[in-house]
Amino acid sequence: MKKLLLAAAALMALSGAANAQAIRIGTEAAYAPWNFLDDAGKPAGFDVDVGTDLCKRAGLECTFVANEWDTIIPNLVAGNYDAIIAAMSITDERRQTIDFSEPYYPPDPSRFVTNAGVNLDFGALKGAKIGVQSGTIQAAYAEANLKDGNTLQSYATYDQAMADLAAGNLDTVLADGPYLDPIVAASNGAIVLAGPEVSIGEGYGIGLRKGDTELKSKLDAALEASKADGTLDALIAKWFPGKGPFYKK
Amino acid sequence: MIDLLPQWLREGLSEDVLFWLGYLTNGKHLAWYASVRFTLFAAVAGAAVALAMGLLGATLRNSRLLPVRLIGAGYTNMTRGIPDVLFFIFFPLAFEQTVEWVMSRSLCSAEEIATAVLWPPCPAANIHFDTFQYLLLASVSLGIVYGAFAANVIFGAMHSVAPGQIEAARAFGMSDRQVNWRIRIRQMWIYALPGLSNVWMLLIKSTSLLSLLQITDIVRWANVLGSPNFLPTAGLVHPDWRWQYYLVLLVFYIILTFLSEKGFTALRRRVGRGMITVED
Repeated sequence: MKKLLLAAAALMALSGAANAQAIRIGTEAAYAPWNFLDDAGKPAGFDVDVGTDLCKRAGLECTFVANEWDTIIPNLVAGNYDAIIAAMSITDERRQTIDFSEPYYPPDPSRFVTNAGVNLDFGALKGAKIGVQSGTIQAAYAEANLKDGNTLQSYATYDQAMADLAAGNLDTVLADGPYLDPIVAASNGAIVLAGPEVSIGEGYGIGLRKGDTELKSKLDAALEASKADGTLDALIAKWFPGKGPFYKK
Repeated sequence: MIDLLPQWLREGLSEDVLFWLGYLTNGKHLAWYASVRFTLFAAVAGAAVALAMGLLGATLRNSRLLPVRLIGAGYTNMTRGIPDVLFFIFFPLAFEQTVEWVMSRSLCSAEEIATAVLWPPCPAANIHFDTFQYLLLASVSLGIVYGAFAANVIFGAMHSVAPGQIEAARAFGMSDRQVNWRIRIRQMWIYALPGLSNVWMLLIKSTSLLSLLQITDIVRWANVLGSPNFLPTAGLVHPDWRWQYYLVLLVFYIILTFLSEKGFTALRRRVGRGMITVED
């Protein structure tokens, strides 16, 4: 039965390829290794690899456009592009404005990082300067849970928050675990993971305009196929060493 | 890019110099240098629109008809009072939505319009501006804002033209339009240029706002390139270098305005030929 479904999906992909539909995909391009601008100035990273694979399967002709995180949802709704692949966590709040595909990366807890040697009492955080990127699930979580007694500092990108942490202007930064792991690994012990894991978000999905069911079903079918044949797991292993496999049965 | 250097030169340069040459000429940096074209285009096109709007505004304010005069005064006073950043964001958005509204009236069904929760009501009425179109809109916004300043300058300059010249022209039987074009506008440049050069400087500085319209101009690129990078896979690992990149922009704008100042001095000499001016 599973084989039959796969064959059907492949057939759909093939028939789609005959009249390739051009779609534009928005990404932040400032969140390595998920998405960033490579040295040639083109968007690259895990999100771009996943998007390229899905588009090929769904017979879509995709181009990636870089868009700042702050306006990434409004510009999707306004039609400047047709999908968002930008390490966006699926949340109920966002579901009120846009639709999501099935997740292409499972929920992964958010983490705190500090400079080495800084000891914060994460059980009862008080008087700490906490950095987050505005408009993220971590920003929403900090606003709801950590606002009392602490100072929240919002940044346009997480790279800037990390730079401020390294400069000693912040006590801690709360961000996606998969984003922080490589930074901690590359910092030679200067930046360390600290405190509890914070489980927020329902995994990372592709953002779509509300009611765009045609594109959603195409991408979901492609995602299903990519999960089933191990391509997605391979991409996860490529960009996030040590993670997964999550999807291959 | 580094491969383009001749072999002897590459051998003569140290490892470090070659590395930095390579870094500063990678695709990202080349895109940054190339994005100067957006800035220059917006400045030149904006100035052209501003000059046209300025002449129009000043002429309207000089009109003998009160309503026309009021339109001219309204334009110069209102636009000068609006912060340029605000107008710069407002105008392109308002323009886009107006076009979409007009299109939706003809392209969407009445049912779609009545039940729509999103904008625009149906996909057919959705327009997407590319970078060049946004650039045109940005130039027009700059032109409208700085046209109001230019109108004020030109209006003042027109009134600095010696009254005897105007009277003489009228006495020769020239029509209002002839007096305006052949005498007033011909002679007012010498008085207008110092003010117009100021407006041009302001306009050049305002081109740094282009990134607000999702145009990846020099400011946006400086921000992207200067942002810290922690991952070797994503390029050179470096801390926050934004101030260094912004410093380059600072120098760029100073050179640009310095060169324009030189240009205006030459222009002033040119239009001042045969006129009695204080400087001579």
